[in-house]
Amino acid sequence: MRRRVAPYFLLGPGAAWLLLFFVIPLYYLAKLSLNAGVFGSYEFSWHWENYSDALQLYDTQFVRSFVYAGLATLFALLLAYPLAYTIAFKAGRWRNVFLFAVVAPFFTTYLIRTLAWETILSDQSPVVSVLDFLGLAPEGHVLATGGAVVAGLTYNFLPFMVLPIYASLERIDARLIEAGKDLYASATQTFLRVTLPLSAPGVVAGTLLTFIPASGDYVNAQFLGSASNQMIGNVIQSLYLKQSDYPAAAALSFVLMAAILVLVLIYIRFAGSEALMGEEAV
Amino acid sequence: MLAVLIAIAALTLGLVACGGGDSINGGDTESEEVKLEGKASGDLTISNWPLYIDKQTVPDFEKETGVSVKYIEDVNANEEFFAKMDPLLKQGESGGRSLFVVTDWMANKMHELGYLQNFDKSALPNFEKNLVANLREPAYDPKREFSAPWQSGMTGIIVRKDLAPDVKSICDLFDPQYKGKVEMLNELRDTVPLVMKCLGIDPTNASEEDWLKAIDKIESAANSGQIRRFTGNDYGGDLTSGNAVAVIGWSGDAVQLQADNPNIEWRMPTEGCILWSDNMVIPVGAPNPTAAEAFMNYVYDPKNQAQIEAYVNYVSPVENVKPILLKEEPEVAKNQLIFPDQSFTKNCTIQPSPTGEEEQNLNRAFNAVLNG
Repeated sequence: MRRRVAPYFLLGPGAAWLLLFFVIPLYYLAKLSLNAGVFGSYEFSWHWENYSDALQLYDTQFVRSFVYAGLATLFALLLAYPLAYTIAFKAGRWRNVFLFAVVAPFFTTYLIRTLAWETILSDQSPVVSVLDFLGLAPEGHVLATGGAVVAGLTYNFLPFMVLPIYASLERIDARLIEAGKDLYASATQTFLRVTLPLSAPGVVAGTLLTFIPASGDYVNAQFLGSASNQMIGNVIQSLYLKQSDYPAAAALSFVLMAAILVLVLIYIRFAGSEALMGEEAV
Repeated sequence: MLAVLIAIAALTLGLVACGGGDSINGGDTESEEVKLEGKASGDLTISNWPLYIDKQTVPDFEKETGVSVKYIEDVNANEEFFAKMDPLLKQGESGGRSLFVVTDWMANKMHELGYLQNFDKSALPNFEKNLVANLREPAYDPKREFSAPWQSGMTGIIVRKDLAPDVKSICDLFDPQYKGKVEMLNELRDTVPLVMKCLGIDPTNASEEDWLKAIDKIESAANSGQIRRFTGNDYGGDLTSGNAVAVIGWSGDAVQLQADNPNIEWRMPTEGCILWSDNMVIPVGAPNPTAAEAFMNYVYDPKNQAQIEAYVNYVSPVENVKPILLKEEPEVAKNQLIFPDQSFTKNCTIQPSPTGEEEQNLNRAFNAVLNG
């Protein structure tokens, strides 16, 4: 009997927390999303049109959010993997310094870090002159374009990609890599057949930790984008705080949650199986 | 432990059940007049916007009247403040506050919902006497029964005169030579009426179609890349860096920006500006309306108002403040953005304020433009 009670006891605080601060607010949000009426006199009435409206009116922003978040995740992965690999295997005694450098930006607030990009990419900045010279700034400016938003997202979420990948690389048993070499595998083959599969759980975790918050982000689009680069987070924010259209904002939040959940499940279904194989190989 | 969990769940369900059925509607209720009680005394709680009063006025008022004032700067945006107060006001409570300061359209909305009380003008002789002429009869409160302007301001054009010397009208903002260098406010009631003026529509009596026509024009400019982005008051940074050369902005900001950067300049649009006011209102359930009216009357004394004006730099709604400041702070008194002549604002329009379903439709249409 004791053994049966123990798990509940351990679950208790977490479950109560989740109930109080996630499930209950979610219930209110769900109820709000089915309200009808105009600002000042919203009334609960099973108003499902909020959902169909949300999908119909803001489909562009949904697609755009997932494209931006997907691109940011891809770029973050391309930047993070070599970085994490270097820190894990080549950095030697500098390892902690590098890890600190990855985390250091978090000592400044998210908002300030994003605003710094406004300065970096400002029209008169040397960065933009160089990009313009290379023909990479067709509109003559970089700020207020989709490229700037994706760059901001990539930068802001990069540590979330680096750390899990580093953690899984760092755990790899060096003898497995040596074994690969002993069996006459080239460096590339060893990497592709041993290191990469073993680090797959880190890659999956990193991509999820980047993609999910990036999809719902609105700060980057607000400061680095133009009207044509706004994401679904911006729509929700302005529905709530500017238009005071709470039901529409609530419905949109649910649609966003559902959409992310579906995308993530699909992703785990495919990428996740590879990650599991990686673990089996151990 | 399971029992505890069940208990928590039950409690939660109870809470949720209690929270149900929370919706009443104000409609066109007649507001009640405040009930005054003799001389002002006791406590007074005021909600105002940040940096909207000097440091001396409240202590001076306390000394003169013996009222003890709790002055809170918790109004950052009309919509947010409304969202915070709405559940209380619905119950006929004001959260202990006796005076709010909100913009015209929000004062109107609160009035329509029955959230405000009418003034007892017998305690407001200064207000009756000194309110400037052009603010005496706004469409939403023609007799100034429930709203008393705190400060006013203008919405117009702010330019970099070195980079966009020729921008003089709202229509000039659509000139392709400034493509990608123009910014507009993300405020429905500021940006859209100004663009209406460029289209030759009078915003005061504009129909929903007129509004939508202006929103269409803004939309095509946003899609073509003419408008770089829509901003709050962060346009200041873009003007300073030269990312933007001409923006729709507020007069109070212009005073500050001009002082910091000689290349930045306010331009009164040839079509005229939008005039708006933030207003003192007395909410339902206000604890000490007597003291609230005493405070309103106090700030409508030109001498006291001059002290506020010298600090705030928006447009004062009180007559006879200028002569006082001419002696004390001549630079403030001579600034057209703080004391505009009648000829300076002759084409300006009081900020229009669509309501109800029309407001919702326009908000939705404008929001669609802001979010591309």
